[in-house]
Amino acid sequence: MTAPLPKRIIKETERLQSEPVPGISASPHDDNARYFDVMVEGPGGSCYEGGVFSLELFLPDDYPMCPPRIRFLTRIYHPNIDRLGRICLDVLKNNWSPALQIRTILLSIQALLGAPNPDDPLNEAVAKQWKARENQPEAIKTAREWTRLYANK
Amino acid sequence: MGRIVSMNLFEAAQPPFTANEGQLISEKTASGLMNDDGRPAENNPSPTLGAHEDARDLVRLVQCTRCSRPFRMPVTLPCGNSLCRQCLPDVYEREHITYPDIPGRLQAFQCPFEGCDREHPASDCSVDVTLTKLMESITEVVAKYAALVGDRPTMMEEVVRWDEGVSLLPAAEKPALHEIPGGRLGATFVLAAQGKLGYNVELNYLSDLSESERALDANMLAELFESTQREVDCQVCYNLMLDPVTTYCGHTLCRKCLARVLDHTHHCPVCRRGLAIPPSLQTQSSNKTLVNLLNGLCPEIVAARAEAVALEERGGEGDLDVPLFVCALGFPNQPTFLRIFEPRYRLMIRRALEANGEFGMLMYNRYLEPQGDLGPVHFYHYGIKLRILHSQVLADGTSLIESTGVYRFRVKAHGTVDGYAVGSIERLDDVPLAEEQRIEAEDTSLPPAEQGDVAGAINRMSTRSLLALGQNFILRMQDRSANWLQQRVLDIHGQPPADAALFPYWFASVLPISDEEKYKLMGTTTVRERLKITASWIRRIESQRW
Repeated sequence: MTAPLPKRIIKETERLQSEPVPGISASPHDDNARYFDVMVEGPGGSCYEGGVFSLELFLPDDYPMCPPRIRFLTRIYHPNIDRLGRICLDVLKNNWSPALQIRTILLSIQALLGAPNPDDPLNEAVAKQWKARENQPEAIKTAREWTRLYANK
Repeated sequence: MGRIVSMNLFEAAQPPFTANEGQLISEKTASGLMNDDGRPAENNPSPTLGAHEDARDLVRLVQCTRCSRPFRMPVTLPCGNSLCRQCLPDVYEREHITYPDIPGRLQAFQCPFEGCDREHPASDCSVDVTLTKLMESITEVVAKYAALVGDRPTMMEEVVRWDEGVSLLPAAEKPALHEIPGGRLGATFVLAAQGKLGYNVELNYLSDLSESERALDANMLAELFESTQREVDCQVCYNLMLDPVTTYCGHTLCRKCLARVLDHTHHCPVCRRGLAIPPSLQTQSSNKTLVNLLNGLCPEIVAARAEAVALEERGGEGDLDVPLFVCALGFPNQPTFLRIFEPRYRLMIRRALEANGEFGMLMYNRYLEPQGDLGPVHFYHYGIKLRILHSQVLADGTSLIESTGVYRFRVKAHGTVDGYAVGSIERLDDVPLAEEQRIEAEDTSLPPAEQGDVAGAINRMSTRSLLALGQNFILRMQDRSANWLQQRVLDIHGQPPADAALFPYWFASVLPISDEEKYKLMGTTTVRERLKITASWIRRIESQRW
């Protein structure tokens, strides 16, 4: 038995549907309103452009006091995302604030795709490629390749 | 996870919990419908202000008490009063202050509001973001309506207050008369914006407006309400702010939402500035301007909101109404000391204190042993209802709780609210005395047990001898100076009770054996059953099988 869904989650869900963010969608499961299927389009001009990435998002019991748990389901070549799809992003960890919301977090993730940060990597191997000047074109090429292979609409 | 602290932290030498309860009550003076603790004062719901009839009062809600104009860049002070930024008194350097050595804190001003008289450090007074946005929306709507209305003016005459009028004004001087186009509400606001309407001045409206112009006022208020609603939503719960509290950085949240934020962090959720607010929020004033505005504009919504919050905290419509602290074992009539530090349990305890001061405590079921109908759950399904006797919030937001066991219960169903468990419980009581005596008569009339059958022998003992066995054991142990019977243990748990029903609880509280073993007492329904359990412990200790 679970307690009724907090008003905040209901409102956030409604707003996600009624005022969707371009390039981002999030819809809750019918049987679990705290579990969302998420789609994020790779930002234009990045090596993920044209890709549609699917993620899973879960709102824990003490949301919004604690951040949502988010993971990429689509394989992605990115220095801040590991093989399991886990994301290294400050606002999902220590910099979370209850004034943030699903919408802003997904925008941050989309922005992370546009601006990888190899200096604070989660995926060491990818980050190494990305950082070494001579390898960077190669890394970007791989990211494009993976996007075409795995993040195809 | 909150945990039981070892008892010796609470030796008798420790001062009793001198929780600042006195303060807590004296500070709760703020406002009408919403008290500082967020509960509606059920007996006096404030009436909704009408757009036409109460135009003067409505405008006063957003007038600065200092300059009498509608707030311009309002600042909300730590005392909960607001005034325009330019109306802030001059700051002076504070002397003899070395801690904390932050530049802004060395400058201060004397609070100009009656009843406060405190000194406010300049850095604790920022522009109130919510009020400022509200004022922007209001000004926009007023401007829009000013453009809509024709030239027909509203005539307003200042009311001469008898105390001033009689003595101060020259007889020839007539009360000021103002003529401003627009409906009452718009015209009154404009008059205030022109600086011609003193905060305390009342108005007589001379022109009697037609129905259509009354409707104009109503429409304008409705639009004001509509356009400002977004601003008065709390950024944490997404609902109308309930008992709004404004941080020193100028951001406003429901009191309860801010308290929850403080359970997790000491940074403002909006701007991430450090929040120099005591975590309990007990002495923090509400934002009086916002409270009065909300109570004046939409008392029904405020009341409904307060009710909804109360319902949410009880765990919804169902009967999962008891907060459950999954931690350790406790017994009836025995003290339990807890240190609460996990954010979800800080929230739980705060809510328990606001309600009846009671919560359930259950032992953690580490190996997920099945618990009756509930199956393998993370707690043992027999628990203890605790009543909080004293609580003390420490500077870091954790708290010390002194509680006493009220009764045992069984969890019938359970759920989760904001991260902690809630349940519907069934109180567990002993069988009636007649039944108790029938069982004793039955047990004691059994044929004697065989030699060496310890359990059989215990089973046949009279209830009185079972109690005597325990009491004598305690006396013998005291003679041997057992360290679990030291004076400080007795200071906490008292002398062994003479009541056979309670003796086992006392015994289990002091005896150093495993909690799993002690848990056997929790599901008992007869005094004999409990005494047999304690007797079996004694026999095992005596035969040194432990």
